[in-house]
Amino acid sequence: MKWNSIRTKVLAALLACLVVGVGGILAMMHYGFERNSQALAAESVLSAQKLFTILQAREISKMTAVSEALIANPQIRDALASKDRGRLLELTAPLYAQLKTQGITNWMFHTPEPDMRVLLRLHNPAKFGDQLNRFMDKEVTRTHAIVVGNELAKAGFALRILRPVYDANGAVIGYVELGEEFGQFIHAMQQQTGNDYGLLLSKSFLNREMWAESSAMWKRRDNWNDNPGFVVADRTTDSDAIIRFQGDLSSIQGQGQVLERYEEANSVFVRGIFPIRDASGKTVGAMFVIRNISEFYLAMQHTQRVLVLLTVVALALGMLLVLMLLNRLVFRRLERIICIATRVVGGDYQSEIRVSSNDEVGEFELLFEQFRCVFVNLLASVSDLQSGVEPPLEDAIPLEDAIKEKSMSCV
Amino acid sequence: MSQLYDLRLRIEENIKSSGLDPMEMKGKIGLRSGKLLALISATTPDDPQAIAKLKLAAREILNLNL
Repeated sequence: MKWNSIRTKVLAALLACLVVGVGGILAMMHYGFERNSQALAAESVLSAQKLFTILQAREISKMTAVSEALIANPQIRDALASKDRGRLLELTAPLYAQLKTQGITNWMFHTPEPDMRVLLRLHNPAKFGDQLNRFMDKEVTRTHAIVVGNELAKAGFALRILRPVYDANGAVIGYVELGEEFGQFIHAMQQQTGNDYGLLLSKSFLNREMWAESSAMWKRRDNWNDNPGFVVADRTTDSDAIIRFQGDLSSIQGQGQVLERYEEANSVFVRGIFPIRDASGKTVGAMFVIRNISEFYLAMQHTQRVLVLLTVVALALGMLLVLMLLNRLVFRRLERIICIATRVVGGDYQSEIRVSSNDEVGEFELLFEQFRCVFVNLLASVSDLQSGVEPPLEDAIPLEDAIKEKSMSCV
Repeated sequence: MSQLYDLRLRIEENIKSSGLDPMEMKGKIGLRSGKLLALISATTPDDPQAIAKLKLAAREILNLNL
């Protein structure tokens, strides 16, 4: 192969096109995948946030309805008014067992202000008499109206409603509180979307000892030391390892943010996070969203492979076609001209250059044929002048005869 | 007989014995040396430069050392 031949140069140019084409497709697919995975992650965060809000609203409605039924019961009202803990437990314990199966895991009765102490914890009857002094407690005593919201206690996070209970004269005789642990929300969300979720709580709002106690009570691993600023309160994944967040939970924007894409065990995931605020509006935790985009990734990879293959095949066919056309239209005709020109110089005055087309090479063929005729005529003239020219060997065409014959045909 | 004519005869003899296409080979030698073999006769005057070019062309094209 001649490195400076037109064939080689055209081939090199076509190969360069092939490389650029394949490179372009790979770059385009990579860019597309990055953008789409980012969009999927953003969509996952947004839809998780919306779903979380819907689930919260639904559960608030449920707890409000249950609390309405409770405060309408005169026996419960009387027991609360008389602060009869035993009677209250006797009346409500069977119902608590049923409510617990429906997700209402926290149920408390509080004495009225000014001290507002816990009269009865249905979920932990042995513990009572303490003052909680939470934001919701202050709000309900201030407004004497139902207060709803997320409330982070020392050992956990729950969606709660707290409402006053009135006697027949309209005086507040105490408060009833219902709550649902956040863990059930993420499991419901996981069932609905197929994504994985993790609930992170800021350590600054938790108590170390109480976290250890609640971990023991809920039979979960004490993961306090896993992360510097937060604990994983609950998750739908098998382990905490997949939930990685380097940053301050309070700095997460209200609409949430997309974290990085990562690969683990032949799967591709995108992650995002959105904040969870308590009843007072403080960011006390965050919801971690993990979406498995392996299927999408594999589909993109398949498309990429098909596109690359199609490009290679198309460009290879194009290269073949271009080289065949060049060979047929240019190179073979040039080789024929060279061959005839060489043979004419060698003494073959019979061969003619046929003009095979009126294209650019055809014009060259015509020019060369005209030049050949001039050359043969010139040889005839020289031959006439050289009277003593020796005849060529017997295998060659007799010079003078051939020249004379050809010069006639060229006139 | 001139030396050029002797070279022509030896080249033509070599081509004939090798079985190559005589027109093509003579054409190549003619183009390479700038000398038409058919116009070299016994009376063609010797030119050292033409002789050297013809020998070089014969060596390159026919691998013939003259």
